[in-house]
Parts: sequence; structure tokens; C-alpha cells
Amino acid sequence: MDSIQGLAYGFAVAFSGPNLLACFFGVLVGTLVGVLPGIGPIGAMALLIPSTFALGPTTALIMLAGIYYGAMYGGSTTSILVNVPGEAASVVTCIDGYQMARKGRAGAALAVSGVGSFVAGSLGIVALMFVAPPLAEAALKFGPPEYFSLTLVGLIFLSQLGRGSAIKSFLMVGFGLLLGTVGMEPISGLPRFTLGQLQLAQGVELVPVAMGLYGIGEVLMIAERITGMPQMIKVKFRELFPTVAEWKRAFPPMLRGAGAGFLIGLIPGPAAIISTFASYTLEKKISKHPEEFGQGAIEGVAGPESANNSATAGAMVPLLALGIPFAPATAMLLGALIIHGVQPGPLLMSQKPEIFWGVVASMYIGNLLLLILNLPLVGVFASILRLPQHLLMGLILLLCLVGTYSVNNSLLDIYILIGMGLVGYVLRKLKFDLAPVILGLVLGPMLEKTLRQSLFMCRGDVWSMILRPISAVLLLAGIAVIVLPHLRPLIKRKGKVSQ
Amino acid sequence: MAIGALPVVCLAFLVVGGAYLVGSFYLPMGTVAHPGAGFFPLLVGTALVCLSVPLLIHSLKKKEIQKEEEAFPKGKDLYRVLGVALALIFFAVFLKPLGYGICSAALMVAVLRFLGLRSWMKTVLISILSTAISYYLFAFVLDVPLPRGFLFS
Repeated sequence: MDSIQGLAYGFAVAFSGPNLLACFFGVLVGTLVGVLPGIGPIGAMALLIPSTFALGPTTALIMLAGIYYGAMYGGSTTSILVNVPGEAASVVTCIDGYQMARKGRAGAALAVSGVGSFVAGSLGIVALMFVAPPLAEAALKFGPPEYFSLTLVGLIFLSQLGRGSAIKSFLMVGFGLLLGTVGMEPISGLPRFTLGQLQLAQGVELVPVAMGLYGIGEVLMIAERITGMPQMIKVKFRELFPTVAEWKRAFPPMLRGAGAGFLIGLIPGPAAIISTFASYTLEKKISKHPEEFGQGAIEGVAGPESANNSATAGAMVPLLALGIPFAPATAMLLGALIIHGVQPGPLLMSQKPEIFWGVVASMYIGNLLLLILNLPLVGVFASILRLPQHLLMGLILLLCLVGTYSVNNSLLDIYILIGMGLVGYVLRKLKFDLAPVILGLVLGPMLEKTLRQSLFMCRGDVWSMILRPISAVLLLAGIAVIVLPHLRPLIKRKGKVSQ
Repeated sequence: MAIGALPVVCLAFLVVGGAYLVGSFYLPMGTVAHPGAGFFPLLVGTALVCLSVPLLIHSLKKKEIQKEEEAFPKGKDLYRVLGVALALIFFAVFLKPLGYGICSAALMVAVLRFLGLRSWMKTVLISILSTAISYYLFAFVLDVPLPRGFLFS
């Protein structure tokens, strides 16, 4: 199926009643959690995975993906109006977005970030549509050693690019891998590390872990420094139109943000967050008036807000083409696919075209819906911020608890949820990055399976496994990422000495 | 505070990693050419131990405390966090015997009060309402068999 045919098929899938509804619901929830500081897309996806059990895998994925890219739209609203990032990928938008709002240009900032998100999101999907199929085709030649190297390098990249120190992130990867080995061992069916608990034989589920770390953990953080209602800048509908001069300044950063965001999305790591920082730095560097950055430069809103949207499209590429998620949010999507009994991998596109093309087409529709939801209705979403925190936090906790229980009707999952919530709170305070835990848990079983298959295939000859060309290149990249940051100061010092 | 919380957490990871490593030896290890169930856990356990030792040593240096961790809350801030945490634990422990209705209402009351809702009237009203709606939604619409507890069974 070529791209045009595939897309036409995808639209037919996406426009069917339940899928359209799922798409709308997904982007609506995404916008909501984007607007609300505290709960982010990962917690929300974990929360809603149980409710997708009754739906087909395509519908489920359409809805969950909608939450992911929808959150990128909503996040900017809070950043601009309240100077508090609605979620992590909108931290940068606070800098110039809030300054614009203080100067009475809040409407323009919101419009530019909405339109930028739409432009970049759509361009990102076009790129996704053309990049993913050939990649999947190439990946058909991958054997277990290549998959092992790819997964391992993905985890290494994530640990190096994330926030906080690398050694802490590696420790979190290890923690995730540890959780992933609990339960029935995939090859022989032997129960491992179940501590005598029969229920643990099924393994540690993704939903309670993600909901604990990202839902309960965040609520505890908020409980600690609860404040009154945030001070919000009001916007009128007719103020939403930026001037011609503002459009002219905002448009090139949108395109640059779209390009940079998509490329960064392909690299393992918290792509959406990194892409916003990269775009901001880029815009400041090439700007003719860099002194305006920090004082309300429209480029500083347009660039990053575009970048985080195309980054989400980029991050979908490895998930849909290779079956390997490189970001925590796409790891949630993979988890959902597995729960629905879909085998992710390069064959997904040819064997389950309705999933791949349906999701791609739904992303076009979702982006359009988001533009409509976020521009005229921005005031409605912003008013959610006026809900008292105690009510919101109470409801989030209740939803986390019942949602977790509903997955397996298991009390043990509730204990895991609460345990992970407390662990998540403490680790957050100690500046550990939690994304590697999720990825370790999801990728662990894959890493183990491919490692054991590779060793078996190469008859225990580790070198012949490592030295297969693709595998070797990937592993070298991984080593480079670990070693290079340590070499830089050495090289600098040498340069100084020779001078 | 002489030492921060980071060394304690590192030590916990070391202990857990060590126990996990020991546990992996009780599983069939296999050979390199034919790795068994304990092979991968052995690698993961080794990595955990090897990572937590240097982090532990690093964290014991005094000047690192401020850089590597946020201060834990004190006084009222601490009570709020502990209150919410205890309410959660209460929910988990008593869910089976007391049932969803009582536990979720109690959780909501606790969370609303701890996080600053002054009026008792509103607290009770919101708690009962949210419990009823969530019970209806999950038990009847989504068919989740929520525990009813001894009072209602």
C-alpha cells in the first residue's frame, strides 16, 4: 500500500463513528491534562488504558495518541496565562509567553502557539507517513541482535538526555528492568521474584506503576506546596488575532520548530521536552533581536510550541515502524497495544494496516479538532484552572485508585500503585528522572528476549553478536553518547595547555 | 541535617539490588550460549549494585546535598503530604473489609480537609457525591466488581 492509498484507507477507518468519537475524547482529555499543572499525559494515558478494554485496539490507540499530542496544545495555555507550565514540554513557553501576556498580547501568544502547534503537528504527521513505512521495511531484516542493540541504545540515550545526572537515570533504568522481570519468565514460564505472591506471577503491570509514579506522585508534590487559586490573565475573543507583523515574525520559527522537533522526536529520550529547549535556543541564536527574548519575543513562543507537536509525531515513528518506544508516552502506547493483544513491530503496518493508517489519519483529524478546541474555546479550558486544587486532587486520587483496581480487580495492584506513588514522590524530591523507570519496565522483557535469542543464535559468541554491522553502529553510538560528555572537558583542557 | 535523604535511598537501592542479585542465583542460569531464566536478572542486579555504590559514596559528600535534592517539607507542609499518604494507605488496607463506599468517602474527606477545604458541610457533600458518582460509573457502567464491604454485602 503506498502512502496515498494508505492514507485514504486510514481516513475511512478514522472517520468511522467510534473512532471519530475516540479521537475527539482523546484530544479533549489531552487538552485538559495539558492545561492542568500536575497531571500530565502519561498519568492520563495510564488512567484511561483500563477504559479502552471494551474498545478495539485501533480505537484505543487513536484515543490514547490523542491524549499525547493533545496535551502539547493545552500545556501552552497555562504557561502563557498563569506562568506555570501546564506540563513539562511547555516550560519554555512560560518565559516569553507570560511576558507577552503581561504586555497585553496574551491572545496573540495563544493564537500563535495554537496555529504553530497545528502547522507543526500536521507537517510532523506528513513526515511520519513517509518515514515510517520504509523504516519498517528496512527493519524486517533486523534479527534479535539488532533489536537488542536498538533497545539497549534507546535506554542509554534516554538516560543521557533526560534531566538529572546520568548515573541516577541509569539506576532508574535498572529499577524499571527489575520490575519488568517480576513474574512469569517469558521463555520457560518459570515464576521469578514473586515473593510467594501468586498474583505477582502475572508480573508488575504498567498501569499501576505509571499511575503511581506520575499520578499519585504528582498529587503528593502538589499537596506539599498547595497554594490558593492562581492569578490568571483574562483574554477576550477578539484579542486572539495577532497583527500582521506578529504573524510575519512567528511563521519562520514555526517551520524551523517543526523540522527540529520531528528530528528530535526520532531520537530516544523525552523528545517533546528537549525539542522545546532546542527550538528556543535556536531561535534566540539566529534572531536579529536576541535581546527581546525573555521580554516577550513571539518567536520564543512560536518555535517551541511548534517543536513539541512535531516531536510527538516524530516519536510515533519508532513505535509504529519498529515496535520500540523511545519516550515514556509512546511506551504507554506500546503497553496499550500489548494489553490489546497486538504484536508491535515492523510487520504491524502490513498485517494491521487499519491500526497504522487509522492512527495516522486520526492524527490529522485530531490536530484540526485541537485547533478548533483551543483557539475559540481557550477561555473555557482556562476556567478549569479556577477549580479548587483540593477538589481536583481528590478526584485524581479517586480515579487513580478505582482505575487501577478495574484493570485486574486486584488489591495488589492498589498496593503497587500507592507504593509507587510514595517512591515516586521521594525520588522526585531527590531529582531522579522517572521516565527511565517506565521505559525499563516496558522494554525490559523485549531486551531480555532479544538478548537470549541473540546469544542462542550466535552460540554464545558475544563478539559475533556485537559485530553485526547495524548492531555495531548502534552500540558505537551508544558508547559515544556515554563517553563524549566526559571527553569534552579533557579536550578543552588540552587545547588550553597547547596554547 | 547532617546527611540528606539521598544516601538512604541509595542504600535502599543497594539492598534491593543486592537481594535481587542473590535471588537471581536461585534461578536456572544456563550457559552463555543457552541462557536461562536467571541470566538477565544477574546482569540487571549487577548493574543495580554497581550503580548504587558510587552514587552512595558521591551522596555522602556534604556539599552535594543541596545540589542533588530538594528540601523535604517541614511542619504544616509535611503534615499535608503525610496526611494524604496515610489516607491512601488507609484506603488500600480497609478496601476489602469496609468496602468501596466507606473507603472512598473517607479518602475524599481526608484529602479535602488536608488540602484546605474549610467548610465541613462542603467536605461531606463533595465526598458523598464523588463516591456515589464514581461507584455508579465503575460498578454499573463499566462493570467493575468493586468491593462492597461487610455492611452492604
